[in-house]
Amino acid sequence: MRHAFWFLAFMLLLLAGDRLGGRVMQRQTDASQFRYSRLYNGRGEADIVLLGNSRGLTFYQPAIEGMTGLRSINLSYNGLPMDLAGVLLQDYLDRYPAPQKLLIDITLCDRDNRQLTAGFLPYAPQSQRLDLLIHHADTAAWYGARVSALFRFNNEVFQRALYYRQRSDADWLLDRVIAPELAAAAAQNRYEIEVEEKRIRALAETVAAAHAKGVQVELVIGPYFPGFQIIGLDALKNAAGQATGLPVRDYRAALNDPALFGDFMHPNKNGAIAYLELLQKDRVLPPPQSEAN
Amino acid sequence: MVFNSITFLVFSLVFFPLYFALKGRPRLWWILGMSYLFYGWWDWRFLSLIALSTVMDFYFGAVIGRTDDARRRRQFLAFSMVMNLGFLGVFKYLNFFIDSFAALLHGFGLSVSMSSLEIILPVGISFYTFQSMSYTIDVYRREIPVERNLLKFAAFIALFPQLVAGPIIRARDLLYQMEEDKRFDWTRLYSGLGRILWGFFKKVAVADSLAPFVDQVFNAPETFGSAHLLIGVVFYSFQIYCDFSGYSDIAIGLARIMGYHFPENFNTPYFSRSFSEFWSRWHISLSSWLRDYLYIPLGGNRHGKWNTYRNNMLTMLLGGLWHGANLACVFWGVLHGLYLIAQRAVSPVWRGIVHTFRLPRWFDAAVCMAAVYAFTLLAWVYFRSGSIGLAGGDSFGTANQVLRGIFSGEGLSWGAVINKFQALKGLLLIAILLTVEASNFRWRWNAAQVGQPVFRLAAFAVLLWMIAFFGTFGGSAFIYFQF
Repeated sequence: MRHAFWFLAFMLLLLAGDRLGGRVMQRQTDASQFRYSRLYNGRGEADIVLLGNSRGLTFYQPAIEGMTGLRSINLSYNGLPMDLAGVLLQDYLDRYPAPQKLLIDITLCDRDNRQLTAGFLPYAPQSQRLDLLIHHADTAAWYGARVSALFRFNNEVFQRALYYRQRSDADWLLDRVIAPELAAAAAQNRYEIEVEEKRIRALAETVAAAHAKGVQVELVIGPYFPGFQIIGLDALKNAAGQATGLPVRDYRAALNDPALFGDFMHPNKNGAIAYLELLQKDRVLPPPQSEAN
Repeated sequence: MVFNSITFLVFSLVFFPLYFALKGRPRLWWILGMSYLFYGWWDWRFLSLIALSTVMDFYFGAVIGRTDDARRRRQFLAFSMVMNLGFLGVFKYLNFFIDSFAALLHGFGLSVSMSSLEIILPVGISFYTFQSMSYTIDVYRREIPVERNLLKFAAFIALFPQLVAGPIIRARDLLYQMEEDKRFDWTRLYSGLGRILWGFFKKVAVADSLAPFVDQVFNAPETFGSAHLLIGVVFYSFQIYCDFSGYSDIAIGLARIMGYHFPENFNTPYFSRSFSEFWSRWHISLSSWLRDYLYIPLGGNRHGKWNTYRNNMLTMLLGGLWHGANLACVFWGVLHGLYLIAQRAVSPVWRGIVHTFRLPRWFDAAVCMAAVYAFTLLAWVYFRSGSIGLAGGDSFGTANQVLRGIFSGEGLSWGAVINKFQALKGLLLIAILLTVEASNFRWRWNAAQVGQPVFRLAAFAVLLWMIAFFGTFGGSAFIYFQF
């Protein structure tokens, strides 16, 4: 009897602490400056929305805002899969007035990412669409979050939200120069993209949703390190173009200086600025406000 | 089967009630059957290896114990050694020897084509063969009586908490416990659960959280700056510590619930003030095994300085080889051998400095701890790279690149660290670990929770909250399984 009493008391304490801890973490998430916290707490309104995986982080917001004079929000994340990107964009469109432009780096169609999708559990209570996607992608994690409120915050996305609790994430970018020995081995390295129909379909649905709101959509392929081989990029480009009916602007070979890269796949800050200048020159990014007026 | 899996939870729920319901021989059969199920869950084919090793060592032990003929005793001890080391040699080291031989010939300008064999390394083979060998050696030395009950001996070898990753428990410490009648006891349950929860925290919250950062560093060291690499190496030192000692904690906890006493396998090794102290606190069951069955028989420190150095080096070299069949792990052992030798030379000089300048005790301790930790870290770089070597990478190349990167000083600032949130999480977890371990000297947390229900309630809840919040639940295997 005595042991049963202690066991019951233990379970009550465990549950109460878990729920209380979950509530505290949810507050931290909501109050964060992190991009998805802003998206879901009503502080994400922008004129330009940017979407991509880690390569989408090259859409360097301080430079874009300086060059165009417009507000931007970058919804890119390392390894962001297309289905999750689509959900985030649709949630944006549901919550805010339509932005002028949507830029998508289509290389985010190169993979699924079950683990990252489950990592968005801290935002699941804010979006039924997101909750459903997580349930579909990682059922065990979804149920785990039902059992333990603390478990919902046991992921990289929450840790970043906590990291950006008091600071802006606008300059989240790989800012280093590729090591010379790595640069010299570029031709011996390669990355393979697998084109899968369901991801291309998700891209087309996302573009259609943006078009339905009157948003001008630009599809791009950002720069890769010169000489680095990307297998399947042309197939992806063709598939994306056909599915969306939009031209894909291809900047894969736009930067030739190795000093503009952090690694084979990612331009560094200087590379990002050079790339963005090219985008503006080609009118993919809007011209400076003074010029536009 | 790994401890951090739902399968093991179900296994435990089935095992324990019947374990306490049974007595005598039926209980021993239950232990043996369930332990074989635990092991066979990974690959049932290798059960025959454990069974053969058990039966043969039981037989060898019986012959050695029955006769007074010194020659015959030596002969059967040799049979036992050849069999056990033969299993290890074939399953763990054959490919390494083939590759090393080919590399040696290549060094002499002879090019030969020697393809390695597709040999699967049986999980935990290094642990149970050492355990089994300790029995025949101890019987030979007349330190323990011969075991006459094969069932009991088989249950001793296979006892599932320690079967695949230790601690290596010798016959003299465990066999006699198999005879005792174990009854369910609440105190043992709470004490065991405390150890198990702490072990899980170390494994799934600390070790598995540090792993991704460490993997990045060792997979592509050329892409990171000095500070990032240094943090990665520090994280590895805690990853391997928490992974292995976490397993030992869980094993000790499970055994405690069953009514067995397992000796401690780790004792806050990073607080060591000398390398000899480090080896009396790190993987204690292996280092004491090597000490008793290798170092001391070689002469220990009894026959002069140079023989002591030789014995230190040989023991550590074999310790390195025990950990991994690759040159980087052997080099890791050699480094520790060198540390032990250097310590004998440096220690008196340092003692002299402390005495001459009347340095405070805390300063002396801090300097010694920092120095031991720094050199241990250096050796871990080769050890971790050796794990990559198992998968076919260039172990030494990777290790040297990591060290070059750290000592280059390029990117030696917090700003140059990539994925700072991950680094912060890792540092926080290490801080929690060290705080608990340091305060444990004074407060003896596990003993305290056994005696105080309210404290136990809070401690268990806090541990479970931390596991839910920080844990990684992919069911990743323990690092030491591969040894």
